[in-house]
Amino acid sequence: FAQQVSGTIRASQDQQPLVGVTVLVKGTTRGTVSGADGHYTVPAKAGDILRFSFIGFKAVEIPVGAATVVDVALESEDAALQEVVVTALGITKEKKSLGYAVQELKSKDISEAREGNLVNALSGKIAGVNITNSQGNMGSSRIVIRGETSIAGNNQPLFVVDGIPVDNTQLGIGSGRDFANAIADVNPDDIESISVLKGPNAAALYGSRASNGVILIKTKSGKSAARKGLGVTLNASHTIEDLLVLPDYQNVFGQGTGGLFSYKDGKGGGLNDGTDESWGPRMDGRLLPQFFSKGEAVPFVAHPDNVKNFFVKGHTTNLGLSVAGSDDKFDYRFSFNNSKQTGVIPNTGITKNSFAVNASYRLNDRLTINTSANFIRSESDNLPGLSGRGNSVMLQFLWFGRQVDTGLLRNYRANGENDFNWNHSYYSNPYLLLYENTTGQRRDRFFGNVNLNYRITDWLSATVRTGNDFYTDKRKFRVSYGTNGTPYGSYTEDAYVVSENNTDFALNVKKKLNEDFELDGLVGGNVRTNFNEQNYQQAPRLAVADLYTLNNSRDPLVSYNIFSKRRIYSAYASAQLGYRNFAFLNATARNDWSSTLPRASNSYFYPSVNASVVLTDALNIRTNWLSFAKIRGGWAEVGKDTDPYQLVNTYPFNQPFGSYPLLTVSDVLLNTNLKPEITRSSEVGVELAFLKSRIRLDVSYYQTDSYNQILRADVSPSTGYKQKLLNAGHINNRGIEALVNATPVKLANGFQWDVTVNFSRNISKVIALDKDGFLNDYKLATSGVTTLASVGKRYGSLYGTAYSRNDKGEIIVGANGLPVKDANLQTLGYYTPKWMGGITNSFSYKGFNLSVLIDTKQGGQLYSATNATGRYTGVLASTLPGRDAEHGGLSYYYPGNNASTAPVQVANPTAATPNGERVYQDGMIFNGVAADGSANKVIVPAERYYKAVYSNSAGIQEASVFDASFIKLREVRFSYALPKDWVRRVYLQGVTVSLVGRNLAFLQKNTPNIDPETAFNTGNGQGLESLQLPTTRSYGVNLNVSF
Amino acid sequence: CKSELENINKNPNETTTAQPDYLLANAIKSNADLILGSDASMETTTLFIQYWAKIQYTDVDKYTTSTTNIQNVWTNLYSLGLTDFNEIIKIGEQTKNPNYQAVGLILRSWSFQLLTDLYGNVPYSQALRINDYLTPQYDAQKDVYAGVLADLKKAVDLIDVSGNNPIKGDIVYNGNLSRWKKFANSLRLRVALRIADRDDATAKSVIASLSKADLIASNDETAQLIYQSSPNQNPVARDRETRDDYRVSKTVVDKLVQLNDPRLPVFANKTADYTPQGYIGVTNGLPADSAARLGFSKTSKLGDYFTTATSPAVFLNYAEVLFNLAEAAQRGYIQDDAAALYKAAVTASLQQFRVTADDIAKYLAQPAVAYDKANYKKSIGEQKWLALFGESLEAFAEWRRLDYPELKPAYAGVLNGKMPVRLTYPVGEQALNNNSYKAAVSAQGADLLTTKLWFDVK
Repeated sequence: FAQQVSGTIRASQDQQPLVGVTVLVKGTTRGTVSGADGHYTVPAKAGDILRFSFIGFKAVEIPVGAATVVDVALESEDAALQEVVVTALGITKEKKSLGYAVQELKSKDISEAREGNLVNALSGKIAGVNITNSQGNMGSSRIVIRGETSIAGNNQPLFVVDGIPVDNTQLGIGSGRDFANAIADVNPDDIESISVLKGPNAAALYGSRASNGVILIKTKSGKSAARKGLGVTLNASHTIEDLLVLPDYQNVFGQGTGGLFSYKDGKGGGLNDGTDESWGPRMDGRLLPQFFSKGEAVPFVAHPDNVKNFFVKGHTTNLGLSVAGSDDKFDYRFSFNNSKQTGVIPNTGITKNSFAVNASYRLNDRLTINTSANFIRSESDNLPGLSGRGNSVMLQFLWFGRQVDTGLLRNYRANGENDFNWNHSYYSNPYLLLYENTTGQRRDRFFGNVNLNYRITDWLSATVRTGNDFYTDKRKFRVSYGTNGTPYGSYTEDAYVVSENNTDFALNVKKKLNEDFELDGLVGGNVRTNFNEQNYQQAPRLAVADLYTLNNSRDPLVSYNIFSKRRIYSAYASAQLGYRNFAFLNATARNDWSSTLPRASNSYFYPSVNASVVLTDALNIRTNWLSFAKIRGGWAEVGKDTDPYQLVNTYPFNQPFGSYPLLTVSDVLLNTNLKPEITRSSEVGVELAFLKSRIRLDVSYYQTDSYNQILRADVSPSTGYKQKLLNAGHINNRGIEALVNATPVKLANGFQWDVTVNFSRNISKVIALDKDGFLNDYKLATSGVTTLASVGKRYGSLYGTAYSRNDKGEIIVGANGLPVKDANLQTLGYYTPKWMGGITNSFSYKGFNLSVLIDTKQGGQLYSATNATGRYTGVLASTLPGRDAEHGGLSYYYPGNNASTAPVQVANPTAATPNGERVYQDGMIFNGVAADGSANKVIVPAERYYKAVYSNSAGIQEASVFDASFIKLREVRFSYALPKDWVRRVYLQGVTVSLVGRNLAFLQKNTPNIDPETAFNTGNGQGLESLQLPTTRSYGVNLNVSF
Repeated sequence: CKSELENINKNPNETTTAQPDYLLANAIKSNADLILGSDASMETTTLFIQYWAKIQYTDVDKYTTSTTNIQNVWTNLYSLGLTDFNEIIKIGEQTKNPNYQAVGLILRSWSFQLLTDLYGNVPYSQALRINDYLTPQYDAQKDVYAGVLADLKKAVDLIDVSGNNPIKGDIVYNGNLSRWKKFANSLRLRVALRIADRDDATAKSVIASLSKADLIASNDETAQLIYQSSPNQNPVARDRETRDDYRVSKTVVDKLVQLNDPRLPVFANKTADYTPQGYIGVTNGLPADSAARLGFSKTSKLGDYFTTATSPAVFLNYAEVLFNLAEAAQRGYIQDDAAALYKAAVTASLQQFRVTADDIAKYLAQPAVAYDKANYKKSIGEQKWLALFGESLEAFAEWRRLDYPELKPAYAGVLNGKMPVRLTYPVGEQALNNNSYKAAVSAQGADLLTTKLWFDVK
């Protein structure tokens, strides 16, 4: 073929060159793909017909005439119907060809209203995705797609950036700090799109970890956007964060017990001054010695905002700069991003600096090399604490004296004290905790990949890719001299090294078999190596003050290190057979060999198959009202291995006793016969578009069964072990997801109103835990109540103490006037919501765009320790009823003024008593019945009433279980893009200014005093609120300028 | 590649071979921590037996026990100590070292004695055999004690004092095997008396087979673990680093005052603020507000002897052996002078707490201290109770058996005027071993704190 035809392919709409258009000489296998500038060259002669096809554009056929230059302008198809999505292994496909549900988010959905934790940016936007937010404005968030499929294991999806899995572990759970899960590192500005592959059907090619779904992140590249000008983009934003919810405190009664208080030393030397509760005297200005008054009696008054004023406004400033460019051989994008966040808790913050490079080079017609590299440093001098007296400020503010002026505590070295505070029995000054007892973290992370693609023939190419995610994460915990309970302080360093390497080789086939059939497939192999190390060292008591090194220790260092490694070899294949571009059959198969399983069962195979038919094309029934109809369905299986070292029991070391090393029998019995976990899933769906695609509907129904679950099942310790590793268990999830997009208004003047609604309902059921049926409950976590996976029930039941009730359901009250606790623990609720949904309304007119997202979760419950504790300690406003006559308290006296006798009710505070006994006005009568069924009439003091019900150890947990349902105004974005002709005059390509707000308000919630939507870590023990930090709302401005 | 994958999965962090000496030191420490710890002692038995009282968070002092505490006692005895002792016995058998076997058996027997003392019927014959029994049945208390006695006898017979089979990791007796033998025999004496009210014949035959020389014969031979400085400090010392909610019980302070007992300044500290009496105990089981009103600085804290880092965890002391011998003599199991042994026991206890000879003589001369043959349970019960201060588990068992001293239930106790006479079974058993649990409850009686155990006749 001496004759070559060449030309440039552009989009007809904006005349931008199109890269990657397939050019085929019809009836032959000759063809090419257009280059970076839209240029192509193909051997062809007059009389041949050239077919130009490109995803999202109408294919065109042009006969070759005499001219050797053929320029083409392609018209875009109805974008909504020709949507292109990124699927497994980073392969871009037309959405209509997929037999499973996929939902995608675009760059501006993520980067404009940015979140400290990337996971939060998905809240409310994707059907079937359940996100539980961070506490405070930093920390971890949990994401689960289509319900929990693993009873005991990780339920979070796999995160993949540019084809390479990246780590999203939350390391150091239980250290009292909520360290952010690792995906929070990714810079939202670098993201071009996020595809959510919801179930195993979509993700079978990713193997083990895909049974929970996959979040595919595609980063921006040099060729992503139509490039004009310099290709420089600047993004700057500033947001302010403040508290969304703070407990509603009472401001009538101060610190103390039994109405009495007087300060001497803050640890019991005075009258109830060691008490960390607010059952003390009225804050009516009476004169009492207080913690700051050096023994002098000073007015005892309320400081209603003492907690609120402790918090500060958080600020997040973000500056991002990117440079991108391309020519026919080379394209690149470089970005730098700096984000600096300060917490709502004083002296907390995180700084992140990230660098990203994405480049691709076409060495010749056949060989292309792509590389992407990201370096992120995330640094914090102090992260907020979550639990424990030495960490959590909310713990102190719920065990609190309401009269305390926290402003006075700012100087924590006041009065010549090392730890000037309102209490010395249990607490250190909260400012001391924040300014001296810091927790620092530094995570240095590199992830990236190199990808070589060799086009062997027109229809066959080979890819080799290797990618790595590597980070070190070092935490430094300081506890200063003089801190309550640790007079010598301590210093701890906890360091992690995490690494995952994935190397893939694949052969890709894309071939039109004949006029009707097209094959798109691949075969490949993967080697994955994970490597983790933890090194923990603690100087348990410092030798000298204010010096934080491991050498500075009075005692031998407490130290341990843990190393773990895993390798998986995989072989996989995938094929898509397309028929006339309206019917598609997809199949995948994968075999894994995992190091974590025993030799006999470390090889496991799993297939998937799915199909889709575009009915409107197949039956040619496209009409004015029905624009598009597709049905789809699929079945998939995914195998899953376990953690390293779960097969053979070993003997762990304990801290030596003097010169004697200590070794113990492990209290978990491991299992040498483990088999892989299996998840089988099927789904069907329909996609419809009406009225010229003004209304689009996507509905899926799915069912997932997970078998052979690897469980650390609790066993009776009398067996000698606390837990036994079982390989049983079966959990079923089924549900429905719906996504509706509509454009109710679209005017000629450019005004458009779009509505997106997503809805999902998931029903989970634990079918079995072990083969012998000896296990009925699997404990997920305990914090107050216990969360369980119980056979026959929804996943995540809350199990705890309940009121004893009679047949009529009335609460039984004992002779002491207090409710009786049922002898058996009861299921008090479920943390998994029944349904979730979100609605986005966006309005655009010329350069203006307003988008409002409201989302909801309904039907789950939670146990709130904030509510229980705050009622036990009398700090919450909800403890006011009954505490005095003004708040409905009843009058009573103690016969002979002996407070250990039963109180006797009298009509009113001035009623005469038999021997002139003092009349108290804080009587309450619990609404319930005596054992004989008659109404309870026994009066008790309010303090006793509240403490009996809300005691952490002895109370009735049912009373602190709440409906976790909520509706939240999740996100408001208002943006204005300056008209192009204005900005071009100042040599700019585009300027967009946005006002953004996130988590702005609750439109509905049933849990008082806290945000019910909070995770306290990323594990499966959810629904257990534990004196959490208040959540935040954020609002700010975002500026995007491109040059 | 299969071999490569297998190699990768070899745990590089922990050893797969157990060393008996390391296991031994670990399990001894684990049991020592347990008998002084929050779960088995501070929040339960030491309050039940009215050695300590609470001045804050008084729920537990009113017998509202925490399910966590109760679960931990059970869990830690079985899964921390006992599995290690079993492994030591196994290694002793495999390596033909009779002394590891014997010491393992002694400590295992002691652990089961603690378990059955507290709970009554407990898994014993099917316990610690997870591959055979995932849901072990509970054995009757009498069978547990019988098994314990048999194992102790076996241990005594196994011990080789020749020096040919040394043991290491012995943080109690530092490898002195004749002392282990004495400890084993002293435990036999303890257990035999425990069942004496139910099974006089067995008690008698066991005790009759023991001679004084077989038993712990001085305070130096007391079975105990002496703690070290941080991080291996005494659990009570560790607790006092951060907590201040315990005081000495009014019951014990009043008794010591009444007897002019020279152990008072050892057991209790003077009140921080000046009070005319100097030592003021707290009534057990006060409502929180009443307790707080007493004043943290106007009530006595536990004596420094028990709160220093190196204070020992006592497993079995010399005084107890003498008290047991006194009772054995009184019951006619052995031919000896009960009154003299009683006197020796009181003397040993006073000596243990470094009371001078003069003060001991003065103390013994008091009529209130004299041995009352007619009501030996009262004499022995009261003095043993004082001698076991710091060993609340043994004190709790012996108080139930001897019914002395006469204790008044906690002031605002929640057991309708009764006192706890056992621990309830941990809630975990209902979830994880329910059939066995139900069988045990139906055999033993309702799963309540007030249900009497088999050995506790009255």
